[in-house]
Amino acid sequence: MSADHAMSKPSHTGQQTGHLSEQQHGLSEKGLKAGSVGLIGAVVIGISCIAPAYTLTAALGPTVAEVGVQLPAIFLVGFVPMLLVAFGYRELNNAMPDAGTSFTWASRAFGPWIGWMGGWGLIAATIIVLSNLAAVAVDFFYLMLAQLTGNPELADLTTNLPLNIATTLVFIALACWISYRGMETTKSVQYVLVGFQLLVLGWFSVAAFSHVANGTAFDATAISPEWFNPFAVGSFSAFAAGVSLSIFIYWGWDVTLTMNEETKNPEKTPGRAATLTVLVIVIIYMTVALATLSFAGVGETGLGAGNPENQGSIFAVLAGPVMGPFAILMSLAILSSSAASLQSTFVSPARTLLSMGHYKALPQKFGNISPTYKSPSYATIASAVAAAAFYVITRTTSENALWDTITALGMMICFYYGITALACVWFFRAEAFSGARAFFFKFLAPLLGGVILLVMFFKTAYDSMDPAYGSGSSIGGLGLVFILGMGVILLGVVLMLVMAKIRPEFFRGKVLTRGH
Amino acid sequence: MRYVVGYSANARGHDAVNLAVSLALGRGASLDLVLVVPEVQQSGHAVAPKAGFENLLNEQAQEWLDQALALVPSGVPAQAHIRTGDSDAHALIEAAEELGADMLIIGATSTGIFKRFTIGSVASALLHASTVPVALAPHGYHRQEALTRISCGLGTRAGAEKLLDFALGMAVNRQVPLRVVSLLALDGGDAAGAAEAAREYAAKHLAAALPGGGQEVREEAKSEVVVAQGRSIEEAVDRLGWEDGEVLLIGSSRLAKGRSIFLGSTANRILRALPVPMIVVPSDYELKHLNHSASNDTPGEAQQ
Repeated sequence: MSADHAMSKPSHTGQQTGHLSEQQHGLSEKGLKAGSVGLIGAVVIGISCIAPAYTLTAALGPTVAEVGVQLPAIFLVGFVPMLLVAFGYRELNNAMPDAGTSFTWASRAFGPWIGWMGGWGLIAATIIVLSNLAAVAVDFFYLMLAQLTGNPELADLTTNLPLNIATTLVFIALACWISYRGMETTKSVQYVLVGFQLLVLGWFSVAAFSHVANGTAFDATAISPEWFNPFAVGSFSAFAAGVSLSIFIYWGWDVTLTMNEETKNPEKTPGRAATLTVLVIVIIYMTVALATLSFAGVGETGLGAGNPENQGSIFAVLAGPVMGPFAILMSLAILSSSAASLQSTFVSPARTLLSMGHYKALPQKFGNISPTYKSPSYATIASAVAAAAFYVITRTTSENALWDTITALGMMICFYYGITALACVWFFRAEAFSGARAFFFKFLAPLLGGVILLVMFFKTAYDSMDPAYGSGSSIGGLGLVFILGMGVILLGVVLMLVMAKIRPEFFRGKVLTRGH
Repeated sequence: MRYVVGYSANARGHDAVNLAVSLALGRGASLDLVLVVPEVQQSGHAVAPKAGFENLLNEQAQEWLDQALALVPSGVPAQAHIRTGDSDAHALIEAAEELGADMLIIGATSTGIFKRFTIGSVASALLHASTVPVALAPHGYHRQEALTRISCGLGTRAGAEKLLDFALGMAVNRQVPLRVVSLLALDGGDAAGAAEAAREYAAKHLAAALPGGGQEVREEAKSEVVVAQGRSIEEAVDRLGWEDGEVLLIGSSRLAKGRSIFLGSTANRILRALPVPMIVVPSDYELKHLNHSASNDTPGEAQQ
């Protein structure tokens, strides 16, 4: 942020005469930082929140496993519910800007119980993505070591369970420490990371297509219009699973829509930035998806995108054969973007937990702010501990932890986005029919989006009971994804009941009141 | 006179408030307690909106500042400000310039276990960029009474006169004695000769700085010159007697750009051993800031 804004900002003065302190200004007068982000800046923030190199390596494989060559179709379709929900999200954010987001909004719309679970869903989703981000970063960390030293054995270190867990925990601890210290990635670093990701993903696609053209591709597959037909997906189960995965790849995009306050032109920039961001993202997703399918096919052997061995992290397998010696750039792009994302994502659960602590929905400690670093202190550490615990449990029980966590994550995002979207519909019900704009943005779009996501959630949850679901890991005859997803939600219910017992104010609706 | 205090709700912040009160008491200065909160960014996969967190942060900051104001005795006027900035040091310097402050006061650090002073990153950044004198409170500074003596560490470089003027101003205005200190680290050489040279040098400058060229020393400006020797600067500092209510003034290094502060290696070593607060004065610091007299009484530490 530039200096002139800070200069022009009114400072909040509590004048003291003796010990009589008198408030001269309310905090609500906090100066606006209008004019700090332009269109390009907002797009960079949007892309950097999505971290496309990371989302692609994490979600491309599992999505292919569900929908095969209809990958491009599902990637396109997945954006629709995200867009519909984001409209509602924006309305809520404008009406009630709050660090608790889904938690606060759902509490205001549906009361404390559903609100609490909405907050829990958001926290759970971010905790899961933290553990996945750390794991992906670790995979590419070892892969990059192998590429740097020319010793492929180093890449296999990541399959050594104790070493993998230890390294992942170190990554989580480091990111937590950085976040706790209140350090944030600067704009210039963000620009470089985003530019580098786009460059490398573009390089990968070009290299893959030229292998196809030269006849050196692993399983050259001709692009067909059927790939773009979502109705060609085999079953509704596969469709639902695919959509909940592709929700994940757009997760973070909604940031651009809510950036009114810090953009140069709050009227126009957020909308344009959101549009431009999604264009860039869709183009890059389509290009990479097509390149991957054309080069590797969806076969279940060797480099095939359908090979379960490859699905946890597709670029770890494909970058080498496609990019040759330059595969190290892919490792670097994914390592840097997932590490940066790991650190910045810590902010989300920490702020939600802080907000829940503040509204007395969690123990007081969660509301603590570090006096030295001015960051949520207890909440940040709690998030790190939870992410570490989640990773250890998944890693030790699953045959393919990355795959299963991403599937569980998609489910969790559908859950809390669904609640949030319906919270928007219910909260604004009185004004829903006051005009065409209100009808669309406050009612129709979030209603459709919310219903779609909740349907995806229930369908995926039901299907995931099958022990063969996801990577095929199971406990007691139930699919691991189901255990993970439902286990997390059930844990939330238990914790909520415990909280209601020990700190009942919030649950009596005394802290956050319903309605306007 | 206005002093800006860099406050944080921890031991370091308390040290700073205590020192600020001590400095203000003999001088009738008012305090501006400034708490810097970081610029909140919107980041992460899931949207973590800044607006809500900013509100919580500001609420908490206001609460901290209310507690801080309660630390200030009723005789000292004080105001609290919340500033936003990515760099604490930058925001404090800006606040000091905007408020027309005569001094910036901060706590050195809260983590120095063996040493009294460890420069924290904020203090270090401040010392490199401040255009007003910076007072550093040592860890655990709890005194809240007026100063009893001003010490001035004199080097042999240019700018010594200005530093002495400043020190003399502080002493005269507070009606406390001034002690001009020369610290010598000797390894063998001609100890006595070096000490004598240092004493002469300091006395000469002191005489020049005193009103009327030292001929008619004003009653209230009691001054003395001492030379402390040791095998190291640290030892020399240790050997000197320090009063509880004393502060040491030193000038910033010649590496400083223009009117800003840069702490030289000697000053850094002094800081490590020093049991009392240190005030670092920027090179070429002009005593009178007539261009922004935000306060009603005489600005600056100039002699009256």
